[in-house]
Amino acid sequence: MNCGSAWARDGHREKRKEEREKVIEQLRRTLSTHPSPLMPSPLVQLSNVRFSWPGAVSPTIDIASLAVSTGERVFLRGPSGSGKSTLLSLLAGVLAPQSGTVTVLGTDIGALGGAARDRFRADHIGFIFQMFNLIPYLSVVENVCLPCGFSAGRRARALQSGGTVEKEAVRLLSHLDMAGEGLLRRPVTELSVGQQQRVAAARALIGAPQLLIADEPTSSLDADRRNAFLELLFKECASAGITLVFVSHDASLEPQFDRAIFLADISRPSPDAPHRAAA
Amino acid sequence: MIASLAFKSLRNRRFTAALTILSIALAVFLLLGVERIRHESRESFAATVSGTDLLVGARSSPVHLLLSAVFHIGNATNNLRWDSYKAIASRPEVAWTIPLSLGDSHRGYRVLGTTADYYEHLRYGRDRRLQMAQGRLPEGEHDAVIGADVADTLHYRPGDSIVVAHCAGDVSFSLHEQHPFKVIGVLARTGTPVDRTVHVSLQGLDVMHEDAAADSESDPLLAAMQADSGSGAEPRAITAFLVGLKSRSAVLGMQRAVNEYEREPLTAVMPGVALQEVWEITGAVEKTLFAVSTLVVVVGLGGMLVALLTSLSERRREMAVLRSVGARPSQIFGLILGEAVFLTLLGIVFGVMVLYAGLITGQPWLESRLGLFIVVGWPTAYEVALMGLVALAGGLIGLVPAWRIYRYSLADGMSIRI
Repeated sequence: MNCGSAWARDGHREKRKEEREKVIEQLRRTLSTHPSPLMPSPLVQLSNVRFSWPGAVSPTIDIASLAVSTGERVFLRGPSGSGKSTLLSLLAGVLAPQSGTVTVLGTDIGALGGAARDRFRADHIGFIFQMFNLIPYLSVVENVCLPCGFSAGRRARALQSGGTVEKEAVRLLSHLDMAGEGLLRRPVTELSVGQQQRVAAARALIGAPQLLIADEPTSSLDADRRNAFLELLFKECASAGITLVFVSHDASLEPQFDRAIFLADISRPSPDAPHRAAA
Repeated sequence: MIASLAFKSLRNRRFTAALTILSIALAVFLLLGVERIRHESRESFAATVSGTDLLVGARSSPVHLLLSAVFHIGNATNNLRWDSYKAIASRPEVAWTIPLSLGDSHRGYRVLGTTADYYEHLRYGRDRRLQMAQGRLPEGEHDAVIGADVADTLHYRPGDSIVVAHCAGDVSFSLHEQHPFKVIGVLARTGTPVDRTVHVSLQGLDVMHEDAAADSESDPLLAAMQADSGSGAEPRAITAFLVGLKSRSAVLGMQRAVNEYEREPLTAVMPGVALQEVWEITGAVEKTLFAVSTLVVVVGLGGMLVALLTSLSERRREMAVLRSVGARPSQIFGLILGEAVFLTLLGIVFGVMVLYAGLITGQPWLESRLGLFIVVGWPTAYEVALMGLVALAGGLIGLVPAWRIYRYSLADGMSIRI
């Protein structure tokens, strides 16, 4: 009897010791990837990420390391077909990498289940598409309020900021010069492309997500509107402390960002892409 | 969230949605309508003979005897002799009998010669007796009691005088004008052929026919002889008679005794058994109607499937947007499935509404034209089960587009493909 319980206690002690060592090891690893604890920790951290679409011979994405700091405005450039959309889907947790880790806000989103990744995206990530951002059967305000229907966190933050979700939506729209009475009431299908993109931006910003991903949001705008849109987007991101990952093939926008990344530079050459094979 | 999105999405496509709902509603209406008429006609027929143990007539097919003597469909081929009736009626197992004499009509309504036993013993529905709505029971041989439909359609009231025509039919050239009857009572509505019948006494019918015979043949001697033998005395023949037994267990023995009656070939029919034979005859038609209406339901739901599937390709980018704001693939699945279920349920609700509107407005027509008495009541368990099956089928069909969009949203991720 006695003997047995002592054995059990020993086993327990052994287990706790193992656990302690595991935690220490984890801390050591974290410290090695974050050279100094005083440096701002990266909001997004990719390491050894590989992703291949089913049936593809080589991985579409093969990134050894990529980090985006909190509050940074990053410009991500690459030719079409270079896997930009795939990378954004990985960042947003719509896709999970086959190997490597995608860490956003300290969470390894590749390790989360599908439903948890969807919840994580709803809570922390705003998204703007190139076009067709709006749900045609919802009003402008309903479109903007949409993320608050899927995320309790963003809903709470919108309520804190605006009083009601609708008021917060109107506030954001007015910051984006979209709050004219006529505009709010108009069906979204009658809005111009520029107006639609601003509604999409308001939707991505509502409830202050930590990360905003924009997939060529300005490619359908003319130069004047493009700059006005960027200016408004930057202002809102800065005031809410939102990190921005902005994808475009338009190099002329590059100077306005903190940092520019050329996708081909960070994604390893794949053997079936001829121009890379030559280089 | 998803429910309100589904609702707003449907509102946006309200024209297609309305057409889908309409086609499902009509299909459900047809399915339930066919079932309702089948069920109600059986109920109505069964209610008419509910209190009768045996029906006896001259030798013929049971179905024919039942239809002609009780439901007034077609004409009896032969009469049976009064003394045969008397002999069977006086058997110890017999509780009551009602003699029936058919063959004449009044403005399209059958004239039935019978006795006071008719008003005393006839039962319909769940053991219900005939009630007088107006007037009183007949006493003299010139008295007539009319059913509720006859009174309503021809606007007869007690005190009116009516003339009976020979042979059943709307128009007859042989009128018994010398022998008019006087309406002295109107029966309360029963929902059975009683409502469409003019009831007179057996004696009255006999006297009328003898007068006519005397008149047409202009033979005073024959007329005098017939009058002598007939008037006030017993009739010579009747069409059929209904039998109530003291104990239902005696019915088989009694039926055999009648069928083996030696002095005249007779047929005894258990009304319920004969009705079953009728339903076996009409069963094939009912099955065909049911199959057709089931196919219409399939077509209606197929229309919904087509409408949902065609909407999917243009909605793929909508799904990508929903995914980007945090919708799970399962929620996207639920969005499309919810639309299918919503459309089906609304179709069923409208179908039932159309059915009831149709039943209420069509009830008088069915009654006067087809003699079908539809009771507008709550849906039966079977009808509810049918509706449940349609709803289930709608949900299962909704799985097809829901599954497709689920696959899309997993495969597309957030990339927008057009």
